[in-house]
Parts: sequence; C-alpha cells; structure tokens
Amino acid sequence: MAIDHDLELMLRVRRGDAASFEELLRRHRVPLVNYFARMLRDQALAEDLAQEVFLRVYRARERYQPEAKFTTWLYRIATNVALNATRDRKESSPRTGLNSEGQGSEIEVSTLADARPTAEQVLMQADRQRTICQAVEALPENQRAAVILHKYQDVDYRQIAKILGVSESAVKSLLFRAHESLRVRLEPLLKEGQL
Amino acid sequence: MKCAEREQLFAYVHGMLEAREEGEIRAHVEQCAECRSAAEEFRNLDAVLDEWQPTEPSPWFDARVRAAVAASEPPPAAVFLGFEWGRWLAPALLVVLVVAGSLVVYRSRQPQVVPQPTARQEALKPAAPVPATPVSPVLQGEADELSLYQNLPVLEDYEMLANFDVLSELPKGEKKVAN
Repeated sequence: MAIDHDLELMLRVRRGDAASFEELLRRHRVPLVNYFARMLRDQALAEDLAQEVFLRVYRARERYQPEAKFTTWLYRIATNVALNATRDRKESSPRTGLNSEGQGSEIEVSTLADARPTAEQVLMQADRQRTICQAVEALPENQRAAVILHKYQDVDYRQIAKILGVSESAVKSLLFRAHESLRVRLEPLLKEGQL
Repeated sequence: MKCAEREQLFAYVHGMLEAREEGEIRAHVEQCAECRSAAEEFRNLDAVLDEWQPTEPSPWFDARVRAAVAASEPPPAAVFLGFEWGRWLAPALLVVLVVAGSLVVYRSRQPQVVPQPTARQEALKPAAPVPATPVSPVLQGEADELSLYQNLPVLEDYEMLANFDVLSELPKGEKKVAN
C-alpha cells in the first residue's frame, strides 16, 4: 500500500509542526480552489471557501484520526462547505452563477493566456468552456460534486462514496447519469470535435 | 456475450470494474462495433470536459490562509511554560474570591476578644498624674518618652524576651523572702 504523504504531514501538524501545514497548503491550494471554482463558478468565493477549509483542517488537527486517505477527509469537509454555500446562494439569489458570464470569461481568458492562441481561438475556447461550465452547473448537486471530484480532482469512486456518504454502486450510478446528461447537453461540442 | 449495458460500458471506460468483469467487457468491446462506438463516445465526452482548464489562486491566497490560521490561535500571552493560563485564570480568581469571602464571614461571626492587660502591664502603668506637683519640662519630656516606650507592645515583647528568666520578674523583696 502506498504511503499517504498527506496523511503523514497531517499527523505532524497534529503534533504542532507548522511547516507540515505549510506543505499541505502548498500541495492542495490549487486543487481546492479549483474544486470550489468549478462547484460555484465564482473565483472570489472559491478562495474564501478554500481558506475556510484550510482553517477547519487546522482547527481539527488535534482531533484528526487517520482513518482514511487525507484527501477523502479534506474533500468531505470541502464538499460540505461547497454544498452549504450552493444552498445559501440559491436562497439569496436563485439564478446567481449560471449566467455570471463576466466572471467565467475572466477565468477562462486568464488561463488560456499561457498557450498564446489567437484572439479568435481565445473567444472560441472561452465559449466552449462556458458551455461546459453551464452543463456541469446544471447537474443536480450530488452528481455535480461526483463529476468534479472524479474528473477534475482525481478522486476515485471509492473515495467519492466516503465523501458523499453513499455506497460505491450509488457513486457509479451518479457518475453514469451525470455523464449521460452531459453528453446530451454537450452534443454540439462533441459534434464539433468530430469535424 | 451479449452487448453490455451503457452503465457497464461507462464503468469499463473509467476503470470502475473488478478485474474479471473488466476482462470480459474488454474482450466483448474488441469484437462489438456498437459497444466500441459507445465506449468511444464516453472517451470523447471526457476529452471535451478536459477543456475546462484549472485556475490559479490569487497571489495573496496563502497569506490570507496564514492570517486566518494565526487569528484562530489563542493569544501568545495566554500560553506560558506550556500551560494555558488564560483558560484557568477565571476559575482560579473565582476560587480565591469564594475563599476570601468565606474567611471574612467566618471572622465576623467569631466573638470579639478584648485583650486584658497583664499584671506586668498594670505594674508598669504610670501612676495617675498628680496635677498639684510641678514638673520641670526636662523631666516631663523623659516621662513622656518612658510612657511611650512602655506602651509600645513591640518593645514590651522585646523586653519580655530579653528577660525571659522568670525570677528576674520578681521584685527583690520577694526573692529575699524565698531565701
């Protein structure tokens, strides 16, 4: 069995090693911010929530028990935070996020800048990315969390079952139904890709 | 083998099957064009989803996390020699107040004992002044000083300790009688 380096770091954090917490922050800051950014499509909120997760991890250090992989524990906290934020946002503004194109475009253009594409390619890519964002965002909460964890966070379905508190077969089913919905919603992009 | 269910194919493409089942599906997909096409659809969808690029956190993200973590720590003054004084300060003060209050109540309920002058104090007590006898200012000053010393309890105690021998307390006349 592979040694869970994150778990070792967390055990050191539990013993009061501040440097290990810094290492955990360095290793998980980008994935965690992206998890929230994809779940909520709001970069500023994503950073606030990622910060909240790191703070919860730090506060819980003395109670931490290495029962599962560190990332399972981390994403269980993160998923709870994300789903609560989604519900809060729905209550305060039912349509926020889905049409927040300004924010989405900002993220997309900034990330595409490294590949140095033409302006037309940038616009086209941004448009495709926005379509993908909207298709994922339209999924039910559990399906969305499962797809993002599986596809973008490299979390396997067994871990997802523990994170969402459902059975492994339920996760397979969630992922399958989510992909079937996405296949329908993203059909134009799939056809473009085949041209 | 008959054609696999789409859900089974999805699980196959994403490596979610047990080894035996995966082997069976792989063998079938290699022979069945329809299932191969369905599996390819799932792979194409994955490729499209890959276009959603990750973002970088803002440059001040780490600093914000560190600040939040530091703010969640107890103030440094509260921890000294590995002991969290702040946590115990309030209960300790409460205990001190309760004990002090109990002592005050206990003392207030005790009967007041007025110290009685000892025989020696009585003997040393200066005689009542005789107003008729005139006293020179120098003698009056010495008498006042003597009276002051005699009435100082500290000096009395010192004198008693210095002359601890009981016999020295007796008047000379009585000594002679004893002999």
